[in-house]
Amino acid sequence: MNWISRFIGGRGEGDALEPGIAEALAHWQALPDVDLSRAHFEARYVVVNTEATGLDLDRDRLLAVGAIAIDGGLITPVDSFYATLDTSPSRALSGLLAFARKDPLVVYNAAFNLGMLEPLIEQRLGLGLDANVIDLYFLMPALFPERHGNPVRLAEWMESFGIETFQRHHALGDGWVIAQLFLAAQARALAQGATSARALLELERAYRQYRRKA
Amino acid sequence: MSTAAAQQLLVGASTDFLRHFSPFDRMEPTALAYLAQHAVLGFHPRGSEILTPEMGPSRHFYIIQRGKVQARQTGAAVVTEYASLSMGPGECFPIGAISAQRPSTNAYVAVEDSFCFQITADEFLHLMQISPVFHLFCTQYIASLLNQSRQQLQTTFSQRAAEQQTMTTPLGQLIKHEPVCVTPETRTRAALEKMNELRIGCMVVTDAERRPLGILTQSDVLPRIVLAGFDLERPIDEIMTANPHQLPASASAYDAALEMATHGVRHLLVVDPNGRLKGVISERDLFSLQRISLRQIRAGIENATDVSALQHASRDIRQLALNLIAQGIGAEQLTQFISALNDALTRRIIELALDRHDLVGVDFGWFAFGSEGRHEQTLSTDQDNGIIWRCPELQDTEAVRRRLIAFAREVNQSLAACGFPLCKGNIMASNPDLCLTVDEWKERFGDWIREPDPQALLNASIFFDFRVLYGNERLGDQLRAWLNKLSRTSSNFLRMMAANALQVAPPLGRIRDFVVEDDGMIDLKKCGARLFVDAARIIALRTGVDSSSTVQRLRQASGKMGVSVEEVSAIIDGFHFIQLLRLRSQHLETEHDADGDNRIDPDALNELDRRILKEAFRQARKLQLRLKLDYQL
Repeated sequence: MNWISRFIGGRGEGDALEPGIAEALAHWQALPDVDLSRAHFEARYVVVNTEATGLDLDRDRLLAVGAIAIDGGLITPVDSFYATLDTSPSRALSGLLAFARKDPLVVYNAAFNLGMLEPLIEQRLGLGLDANVIDLYFLMPALFPERHGNPVRLAEWMESFGIETFQRHHALGDGWVIAQLFLAAQARALAQGATSARALLELERAYRQYRRKA
Repeated sequence: MSTAAAQQLLVGASTDFLRHFSPFDRMEPTALAYLAQHAVLGFHPRGSEILTPEMGPSRHFYIIQRGKVQARQTGAAVVTEYASLSMGPGECFPIGAISAQRPSTNAYVAVEDSFCFQITADEFLHLMQISPVFHLFCTQYIASLLNQSRQQLQTTFSQRAAEQQTMTTPLGQLIKHEPVCVTPETRTRAALEKMNELRIGCMVVTDAERRPLGILTQSDVLPRIVLAGFDLERPIDEIMTANPHQLPASASAYDAALEMATHGVRHLLVVDPNGRLKGVISERDLFSLQRISLRQIRAGIENATDVSALQHASRDIRQLALNLIAQGIGAEQLTQFISALNDALTRRIIELALDRHDLVGVDFGWFAFGSEGRHEQTLSTDQDNGIIWRCPELQDTEAVRRRLIAFAREVNQSLAACGFPLCKGNIMASNPDLCLTVDEWKERFGDWIREPDPQALLNASIFFDFRVLYGNERLGDQLRAWLNKLSRTSSNFLRMMAANALQVAPPLGRIRDFVVEDDGMIDLKKCGARLFVDAARIIALRTGVDSSSTVQRLRQASGKMGVSVEEVSAIIDGFHFIQLLRLRSQHLETEHDADGDNRIDPDALNELDRRILKEAFRQARKLQLRLKLDYQL
């Protein structure tokens, strides 16, 4: 049994994938895993951000997803993605996967964003996301304790760095903020010798462990 | 497509940001869209270097989105008047370096956490191509560099001018005459007679080794001799002031002024290291150090009754030219002004000569050729002149010509005495070949145009820049109108002139910045200024512009040639910069047309001047390219 039939079987009856999507997913799944030890200046990261009706994982609904690539330490505005989920959720989600490839994801508050995304991807596309996720919610205080020693809301980091955006609480508008924060995070991490995605993930994990003990 | 929606949002955000700042606010919509599409955003933490000279040719153009970046000068040579410059959102760098595809001269350091948009060098150059607004912004920036360079040049000159003619001048340089002295046993009457005869204010008494023993000044005469009823037959040492004030030749004018003020004396003796008298400095000598004014020089020229008075004026003109550079006068005004004073000087010389030569009834004009004809005289120039005249009725042409030549010979000699060397190529009014009637000149020019052999072309390049400096200007106008009409219809002649003008290319290297001669020098006249002058002459002939000045020729012809004002200004700026560098290399001390004038060592220039000189040569190349296209050469 190949992987296509496996996730087809996982979806509700009569909910067949639209034409082209299965192929796109097959292509995505066939992508090799990325090397997490690549240096920031040669790695591609993808900022992923969601927009929902509210902040309650159980009651609220996902409205839109946005993504911005950071390639070689630079934000490339033309390398970005945005889709609403109102017309075709599976097309939007598979588009997001195709955009993100297998590159490490950067989010702000993984608990909420992935809490929204992962079940929906499983439900609509019949597969697990299983990505390397860097959560700036924890990484930022780990890297910039002189600014905020504990996790804070995105707005406070915006104020601290003087970052602005064209539209707040919009998947891409906030994504633009997160992408800029991540540039700063990369630069600070580099100065501390954390030169790769793997190092960032370890930094984040160490910070969380330290917080649990404290 | 989902990517398209995202791009629209993010590129739109970049566009909105850029629109807040000049020059992006004025940029053409397609160009702005191109920029926003290609701009990527990077982060530079506080203290990090964004761009330094060591990074090699600039590969990116940066626009600050947020934060603060400081441009710092690196290396020993300070190229601009600022040591460091802070830049904030909307400001961009580097402009000069990326336009010229060379390393930046500044180091750009983020002094705050900064975000910068960046595009690649290729994208930058493409943007310059598609956006006239952006192109203008960048070229104006380069022009502002030119301005900085000029200010810097002026500072250098101020220092030099200060050294040359202010109170820091060593006394040794201020001594005008051999000192007049007598021995102590000289009869007082003899000493006073000598003072009167030589019109000097004081008499120095020295021993046999010329070591000063005392001094007798005019102001001593009344109290010590006349009123005291001193016997004039007695020796001078009985009434002289013994132990006169002395200063070494290396002391400054300021020291002398201080010494005079302290001791209440009007004369000081200047001695050499062995204590021997070198000269006398008077209070008046120090006063004359004060700046010479234009008005004074003009008055001096107009009131001059002989050539020796004009010689003074000629020296003053050079001195004043130096002062004016120090005061920040641009090359165009400066060369015009030198021309104006030299014109006045020449006119006065002609007037003085006319007193002795009877030319009443002869209708003539004194021609200036070459740089003088173009109002572009630098401090180093020899004479190029001629005469145009009309023979009075019933007079023998050759007899009149002989009278004119005799007159011209005297003018040529007087000019030489005033520092304008006789022309080695004998391009002077005293040459019978250049003392011609209107019809003879027409014949001469006509021959050159009809048979443009190499010598004719060379002649054309000198003689076509004529103007009447003294006498009947209408004779010159008449010749000019005739000449323009003839040459415009002689396309072959113009084509040959153009080919001739293209024989010397601007000394721009493929690998090195400049192509230099064997001794590492560049001749700014031969390989610089002349390229502009030659091209402008052809363009003027072709478009029928009457002016004989290079800048006026280019400006007036540009409209007819369909060349934009900006383009012409850039060419003229280039020409002026080369002229300014020439003036700088022409030292006050050297004689007119001395060897070494006009030659500079590009390696001795500072980085900024090198860049501008390169740009100036590029403008010359542009002008030549224009000729090449026009005449399909």
